[in-house]
Amino acid sequence: MEQRFLNPSVLAAISGLELVAKTVVDGFISGLHRSPDFGFSQEFAEYRAYAPGDDLRHVDWNVFARTERAYLKRYRGETNTLVTVLLDASKSMAFSSHSVPKIDYARYIAASLTYLAHHQRDAIGVVVFDDEVRDYVPPSGRQGQMARILHAIERAEPGTRTDFAKPFVLCQDLLRRRGIVVVVSDFWESPETVIRTTEPLRFRGNELVLLHVLDPEEIRPSLREPRILLDMETGDSLQVTPEYARHEYPARMEAHIAGLRSKAQAAGIGYFLAVTNRALDECLREYLSIRQGRM
Amino acid sequence: MGFLSPWFLAGFAAVGIPLWVHLLRRHRSEPLQFSSLMFFEQRTQSSIKHRRLRYLLLMAARIAVVVLLTLAFASPFVTRSVPPGEGTGSLLVMVLDRSFSMREGNRLAAAKTEAASLLNSWRPASYGQVLALDSQVHLLTQRTNSVDELRAAINSVEAGDGRSSFGELARALRSLSESEKLPLEVHLFSDMQRTSMPSGFADLALSSDTRLVLHNVGSEKPNWAVESVTAPRVVNDPKKVRILATVAGYATPAASRNVSLVVNGKTVSTRTVDVPENGRATVEFLTLDAPHGWNRAEVRIDSADTLPADDSFLFAVERSDPRRVLFVHEGRQRRGLLYYKAALESTADGAFQVEAVSADSVANVAPEKFAFTVISDVASLPPSFERALVQSIKSGGSAMIAIGPAAAARAMVPILESKIAQSKYAARSGERFLALGKADEAHPALQRTNRWENVKFYQAFDVDPGDARVVARLTDQTPILLEKRVGQGRVVVFTSTFDNISNDFPLRPAFVPFVERLARYLSGFEENSVGYAVGSYLELRREGSASRALEVLGPDGKRALSLSEAATTQNLQLTRPGYYEVRRENGRHELVAVNPDRRESDLRTIPEETLNLWQGAPQGESAAAATPNEPREERRNLAWYFLLALLAASVVESLIASRYLSTSKETA
Repeated sequence: MEQRFLNPSVLAAISGLELVAKTVVDGFISGLHRSPDFGFSQEFAEYRAYAPGDDLRHVDWNVFARTERAYLKRYRGETNTLVTVLLDASKSMAFSSHSVPKIDYARYIAASLTYLAHHQRDAIGVVVFDDEVRDYVPPSGRQGQMARILHAIERAEPGTRTDFAKPFVLCQDLLRRRGIVVVVSDFWESPETVIRTTEPLRFRGNELVLLHVLDPEEIRPSLREPRILLDMETGDSLQVTPEYARHEYPARMEAHIAGLRSKAQAAGIGYFLAVTNRALDECLREYLSIRQGRM
Repeated sequence: MGFLSPWFLAGFAAVGIPLWVHLLRRHRSEPLQFSSLMFFEQRTQSSIKHRRLRYLLLMAARIAVVVLLTLAFASPFVTRSVPPGEGTGSLLVMVLDRSFSMREGNRLAAAKTEAASLLNSWRPASYGQVLALDSQVHLLTQRTNSVDELRAAINSVEAGDGRSSFGELARALRSLSESEKLPLEVHLFSDMQRTSMPSGFADLALSSDTRLVLHNVGSEKPNWAVESVTAPRVVNDPKKVRILATVAGYATPAASRNVSLVVNGKTVSTRTVDVPENGRATVEFLTLDAPHGWNRAEVRIDSADTLPADDSFLFAVERSDPRRVLFVHEGRQRRGLLYYKAALESTADGAFQVEAVSADSVANVAPEKFAFTVISDVASLPPSFERALVQSIKSGGSAMIAIGPAAAARAMVPILESKIAQSKYAARSGERFLALGKADEAHPALQRTNRWENVKFYQAFDVDPGDARVVARLTDQTPILLEKRVGQGRVVVFTSTFDNISNDFPLRPAFVPFVERLARYLSGFEENSVGYAVGSYLELRREGSASRALEVLGPDGKRALSLSEAATTQNLQLTRPGYYEVRRENGRHELVAVNPDRRESDLRTIPEETLNLWQGAPQGESAAAATPNEPREERRNLAWYFLLALLAASVVESLIASRYLSTSKETA
């Protein structure tokens, strides 16, 4: 029963991203996210010898009194991470072969992830981009942040795209603090370009996850007759035969996905494929299970 | 195989449409938007080849639809030879004319013999049926394959007194063909009288699968007949009677005929008349010496022809004293009485005698003893008289009520109890008067009155008609003449007076015919015709009247109705010539004379060309040439089969097309 409501097409009928996110996320095991930093919380991690420049507030003065050696007490931070979702709102995200376009599916995922992070008191932010950065909500854990995030996500409509790299250069300036960066996009670019473009985000100490949103028709087109296909972003047209769409295209698409996955792994970037006909909670659960212990 | 409408075959040209759509039309497809063409490569395929492969079945179905539709419209048929009345599932229908004219010579016997000989050569593999024809068609058997039953039915046919109607026969054959759903082979044994034809030849049309074979058993023979008699129904003074008889000769030479007037079996007068060749002559009898009561009268000629049954014409005459009319008036005003009495008693035959009684002395008068009652502007009637009058009307009597100022004072119309709303005045000066406006000129009160020409009304009373029928209105829409049925009788209301004060009607020429016609209407003289034709209906009681029994004695002196029929039936069909005695519910006794339809006396036959046309045979070919015992060519229309195939092809086309449609939808 619950599964039925988590069907993307059923979720599409629910107005309001907050409700969608709540529907998807509630019932999950909260606290799967774990900060990559050590912070200030109750869970003890380790002692470390004091080095000049360390904050004196972190010195364990009890140990110092007993041993006259200054040690810093370190805790595993649970809530202090920044989660920033980069939502691709390019024209190609408007593609749909069924009732849920990719942009909607991406919005649900973005909303669900931010809702999940907000639920465990992470600071959350969102960047909506196509050719440019169209919308930016800086990461924050303040009250009302969730509403701002959802508003920004809801506002995201497919725009234009000719250059994949351009918005990421802009994003590098926005994301100065360390945290988790989730890029939700259809990545219609060669794997090398994708990794080369997104990698700089990881260099700043961010944990980078690529969430690849694809329509099932994009993976295996079901053409029954020769058709002229029109590129949604560039406007180019091409006559395509069903035979090609049935045999050669899926192979090339699989090679593309595999290439993207392997290159991402090689670069220490997380990669996850989300196909829009899958149930959203199932998709999220798989994603979080894979990342368990890391986020 | 042939085609009834071969010009529809031009529709085969439409086969080109599906061919063009499927094979020749350039394949165009709407561009399909896709998120990225990153992994696609240009590939092309011949669209014609593609279409041909994909939609061949659909194209075949569409071509089949066009071809079948064209063939169905072209009405293809196959011809084959069929023995008479056999094997085809056809119904052999034998129709024997039993009209009055079949009494001539041995026409009926000849018809029976021919029908029996047809039956001898008939192989009963299919069904047969015997019908008898006069003014109606009578089924003598149901559909049967028993030769004995058919032969018995043929032998049972007796000559009747009705007239034959080929229009009625055609109508019956059309409905028989429709109900039996079988091709009909109709054999008509008749004397083919010209008078049996309907007014329009279209009425003779038969359904397409009916084959008609005519057997003419008659021939043109000279015949004299008493065509009609005009006589009064009631005779008051035997010296003032005028009886006109018309003697007609059909296909006859000029000749002298003796015409006798016979009353109650006794010849009272004889005249000799010269009847011109193939023409008519009129004889006049100016006295009728007959006793009081109903008399059986007859005009007879000595024709010495082969059809003696039409040499006499029956009629019934009642000898009676003048009928008394009760005229109730206010004692003071006698002008209305003067005018009404003068008008009614001035009629030629003196059929009515007016008895005037003032309203205050009418209490002990019995209205049922009068032909009808006139109430002329009376303020009030004694209750006992009013009750007796209402009772008399309900049982078939009549009354006429004139409304004047005295009656208006009561504000209610006597007997009817209708409300008198107001008095309508028009001044005598200038042109300010009312005249007759809308009127039912078919009503007896307005017949022969020239629409009450020049009659001026100065005062009339607006009576609420209620459920009464307004016969005439004045120009300002005030009802001037109303009629209402009360029980078996009727009441006529004249909303003005007869006294030359409220109007000048009594001084106008229209007044006498108005009074006379209305008096005849109210006394029931008009309702009965002098003579009825065989097959016509006699009205016994009016609709909605009480079911009191009446009695009808037929020409043979026996009751014509059963007890239950006598209590309920409204009309009686007069099936035999002779005198019918009717004792009505109101106790009145009546004699009705019935004669065969005189159109049957004309023995001239229908021209051969017309008969051939009716049979569907080519001009000049003899009707007898189409002998029933020879095999005949039968056309079997195949259009229905093609229509069924068309339906199937349409369904197949829809299924295939919808499958392709759903595929393309999925692809989009």
